[in-house]
Amino acid sequence: MFSLEAVKWINDQFKQTNELTEKTLEYEQKYMQLFYLKPLIDREMLQNSVIKPFFEMASENQFKLYLHALPQFQEATTKEQVMREIMNGSVVAVIQNEWYLLDFKLSTNDKVNNTSVETTIHGSQLALSDNLATNINVIRSYYHQPSLCVEYVVKGEVNQHKVAIIYDKEKVKNGVLDTIRERLQNVDKQVVSSTTQLNNFLNNKRLSLFPQMIMTERPDRIVYNIAGGKVILVVDGNPQAVATPAVFFDYMSTMEDNYHTLIISIFLKFLRYAGLMISILLPGLYVGVTSFSPEVFRTELALTIAGSRVGVPFSSFIEVLFMLFFMELLLEASIRLPKAISATATTVGGLILGTAVTEASLASNIMVIIVSAVAISTFVIPVNEMAFSIRVVRLLFIFVTTIFGLAGLTLGLYVLIMYLVNLDSFGEPYLQLYTSPKNRSKWERKT
Amino acid sequence: MLNKQIKNRLGFLLLLPLFILLSGCEFKDIDKDVFVAMIAIDQSDEADKPYKITLKLYEPSSSFKDAPQPTYSYLTQAGETLSEAIRLMEAYSDKELQFGHTKLIVIGEDLVQADKSKEILDFLLRRPDIQMIAWIAVGRPSAEKIIKMVPQGETSAYPELFNYFDHTGTESQYIVTTYLFNFRRDMKAWGIDPVLPIIRINEKDSHFEIDKSLIVRDSMEPHEFDPLNTSLYTMLTKGTDRADLAINEDDEYFIARIDRLKTKHSVTIKGGNKIELDIKIKLYGYISESKKNLDSKDLPFYNKLLKAESEEKFTKFFTDMKELGFDPLGFGLDYRSRTLHNRRMSKEEWEEAYRNAKINLSVTPQLKSTGSIQ
Amino acid sequence: MSRYYYYLILINMVANIIASVPAILLHSHKDGAVSAMILAIFVGTFLVTVYTRFFNAFPGRTLPELLQKTTAPWFYRPFVFFLAVMWFIAGVITLITFVFLLIRYLTPEMSINLISLTLILSVIFGCLMKTERVFYTVEIILLITIPLILFIFFKAYNNDHLEWDYVKDAALYVNKWPNIDAFSACFFLFLGVANLTIFNRFFTEKQKFGWKQIFIIAVIAMATLFTTYFIPIGFNGLENIGELVYPWISTSDSLRMEYFIIERVLFVFLLFYLGIAFLSILIHWHASMEFLKFVFNLEKIKYKGKKFGKFIPVPFFIGISLILVQLLNEYRLFLYTHYFYNALIVIFPSMCFLFLFIKRRMKYAEQANQK
Repeated sequence: MFSLEAVKWINDQFKQTNELTEKTLEYEQKYMQLFYLKPLIDREMLQNSVIKPFFEMASENQFKLYLHALPQFQEATTKEQVMREIMNGSVVAVIQNEWYLLDFKLSTNDKVNNTSVETTIHGSQLALSDNLATNINVIRSYYHQPSLCVEYVVKGEVNQHKVAIIYDKEKVKNGVLDTIRERLQNVDKQVVSSTTQLNNFLNNKRLSLFPQMIMTERPDRIVYNIAGGKVILVVDGNPQAVATPAVFFDYMSTMEDNYHTLIISIFLKFLRYAGLMISILLPGLYVGVTSFSPEVFRTELALTIAGSRVGVPFSSFIEVLFMLFFMELLLEASIRLPKAISATATTVGGLILGTAVTEASLASNIMVIIVSAVAISTFVIPVNEMAFSIRVVRLLFIFVTTIFGLAGLTLGLYVLIMYLVNLDSFGEPYLQLYTSPKNRSKWERKT
Repeated sequence: MLNKQIKNRLGFLLLLPLFILLSGCEFKDIDKDVFVAMIAIDQSDEADKPYKITLKLYEPSSSFKDAPQPTYSYLTQAGETLSEAIRLMEAYSDKELQFGHTKLIVIGEDLVQADKSKEILDFLLRRPDIQMIAWIAVGRPSAEKIIKMVPQGETSAYPELFNYFDHTGTESQYIVTTYLFNFRRDMKAWGIDPVLPIIRINEKDSHFEIDKSLIVRDSMEPHEFDPLNTSLYTMLTKGTDRADLAINEDDEYFIARIDRLKTKHSVTIKGGNKIELDIKIKLYGYISESKKNLDSKDLPFYNKLLKAESEEKFTKFFTDMKELGFDPLGFGLDYRSRTLHNRRMSKEEWEEAYRNAKINLSVTPQLKSTGSIQ
Repeated sequence: MSRYYYYLILINMVANIIASVPAILLHSHKDGAVSAMILAIFVGTFLVTVYTRFFNAFPGRTLPELLQKTTAPWFYRPFVFFLAVMWFIAGVITLITFVFLLIRYLTPEMSINLISLTLILSVIFGCLMKTERVFYTVEIILLITIPLILFIFFKAYNNDHLEWDYVKDAALYVNKWPNIDAFSACFFLFLGVANLTIFNRFFTEKQKFGWKQIFIIAVIAMATLFTTYFIPIGFNGLENIGELVYPWISTSDSLRMEYFIIERVLFVFLLFYLGIAFLSILIHWHASMEFLKFVFNLEKIKYKGKKFGKFIPVPFFIGISLILVQLLNEYRLFLYTHYFYNALIVIFPSMCFLFLFIKRRMKYAEQANQK
């Protein structure tokens, strides 16, 4: 089926690059042509498992059978596939117009990383690697079920990245899987380079504030999510996976919750939700109390606030926005900066700026306390994506309070809850206290 | 579903410019407010402006820790009505007066004597920003003098006067604590009469003295409790858990410190319009001071002394009250709470019956120890 | 019963503590409020039973759907429209009461329009949600607010200054004939069950409703009514209790938290009750919107291929509420509320006859189907 034309076609495709190596081997009536991209393949492996046997084998037929038996062997069907495989690091062997695809990809990125985003004290310290095959290897070796399925899709017109869809066939909700497949079909981006990008491509919304897929780098979390009936997407070249459908509570839990004793994990959860509330409400509360209802707090506190605001030239919401703005800048800066400098940046920003601002009475002492409390409590939110959303929500709350006062702030909280409840993540309600018994029974029947 | 969400979001987006347009309308910063700490209401000398109001205002200072002395400012204004006086004051103040933090209302003695408490009460209740949990007290000689005094050693942000009334600081048997809502409730009902503490200033002008109180009733001359009666009152109304009782009988002199009190009072109806007042008091405590050596074995004897002495004191208190027609404990209320409304005596009949009531009072003393020494 | 069912009932009961119910009750404290309360517990529990049994017989069906099947269009449309108006009014009453409260106690300097706009805007989009999502919202907000509100009630009961003699005094007025106004106000507390007319959509499976459930509801009702009526009396006395415009606000202001950062319980109460009021309005207006959808077939209205029908009522809701907030004052709100409550004690029991009719028709329809 593959003729010389095909060989020529492939040669044409790679005309622009001079990296395509074409090798012809001929020895004792054995004839073979090899095509490969030199930088992509493992030359030693090629040498040991193809070239050496070629010269040692008695006949061409025996060699063909040998090639078939190689674990790296892959059936070639179309010339487009062959071209793609070459680009993926395969070697094409042509013997008597028969094509043999051999995967000799050389991967330099198959080392498993250490956890850097979701660090924990308990549990595994290893994360995923940048290599898709390694990742699937890791996942499979932690999840021993024959029902674990991996599907591959190639996305990105230009860079042609492999995307793996991983799920447990028996636990996954079919509707979710279909939606994901369908939406993946519709993704027509030129370059797909990150797993988290899929979050935007798949939720079919232009403006979305809350993430609908949960990003993770921890294999234990992935396994936990697969067992919970979620679908995992991994893009080649990315040390992160996304799990979906994700609901709000997923973003507020860490893997460590399962490793601690019950009381401790309840305590930690309480801390986390308290942190969430503080980081959303505190700046708004400050505006509401100082500017609309100063009689709410007890007298001593109200007087302290009033006293600390003496001489501050801005009104309270400008003051809050001003300080929050610098805090956000600081946060952004410390992410972008090299690790060595970021410590200095925090010191300069946090300590020096904070002190100087109060000395110059551009902001009240209490304001500095609030901003730092808010910053700290934002870090308590375990999943980074949610923390980003919360930072935006906080600003909205300040606006609402500026206009509607404390009642506005309270109502804003209720509206936020309502909004979250109204959101969907691939057909699942985003915020719901318990899964309703209806769903659960369906679920149990399935498992 | 999706469509709706997009629409919801669009709704939010449309609101954003609205927010920006609206902001700044009702915005008022806390440093443009001035908090009223106390209100003093007095009778003024001018005939056409009978009320004189003095406000004690907190002066915010940038750091309360560094401020050695608390600073207050005062506003005084007379007016035909209370709200007129407040209105005038608002015109004279550069900042907005905030009554939300007012914790103490002092009424001048003249006004209480002149039976004006009803009008004052009406004004205080009608304003939604005045707390119902503000304390109410009588100032002697005038309310203005009381609130204008800053005793030595006062910390800023919390006037010393408050410490007397909230139960986090001192707990004394001589201090009656009356909240505004208490006062209103008992003032309007018949069958119980509110008691207000009297705040006085020590002659040397260095500190407050709160050990007397005043029982008030609509259209009646108020009656003043001396310190002893005040302490009996607080003991009876569970206003205090701790009290000292001095026993001086048969050349025995000791002081019983009561650390737990149980009082029960009720009315027994004896046919017709005859009633009896039953009061049962249980005192638990120990002896805290004595002029001579005490013996633990003799505790029953001391108990007997305590019983005799306290029964005498309490009986005198109730007899006085009965004769004057005041009802600080609420026997009338108790009567009402146990008779159906259509079988009750009228208010006048009750008052008559109360005056002629027999008092059955018994004290059960439970002195547990003679203190740390014998 | 599903826990969501209890939420419907609970919210209507608890929400009315801030609305006019206690004011109306306390107004007739000497003319049979107590006996009206006792009577209302019996009648109300009976009504709850009838309503629940009826809707339980048709799991997953709403009242308009049932009416559509069994009654003629000339009856169906005006009747459902009438229901929509009633539910709208029920929501508006809570709304206006709360607006007045906020302007009086929390932000006296804000304009009344702005405050009403805050409340309306926050609720109105929620009304367009799916019924199940309304329930989920209700559950989460209740989880946040109820513990604090229970804490406040606990504080009230546990307060030294709560004078039980006044409570006993008030209770002794029990031998008066029930007062009709007081009765209708108490009766309104039980009408949370009427929300099943729409919310029955959520209960797609047949629920168990026996003596135990009836008992639970009666106990909740008793506890709520007792707290609503007697706690303000214990704090504010009996004699002039009728003069208080917001008895419960005055009561919560009589509580004090010595050690908390907010000393006046009033504000905690106000802000957390805002949540309950929010839910109450949400539920009522959601039902109202759904009724309107049935009357005008709003789902089918399209413009440029987009379904926007269900948004049509939104401007009307906003507009009418804003106008009403302007027009009414406290006295008239009180007066009209109490007319409204009085009307309800006629309307809702008489709907039982309608239920009977529907049940019969449905039976015939089923028999016809089987043949």
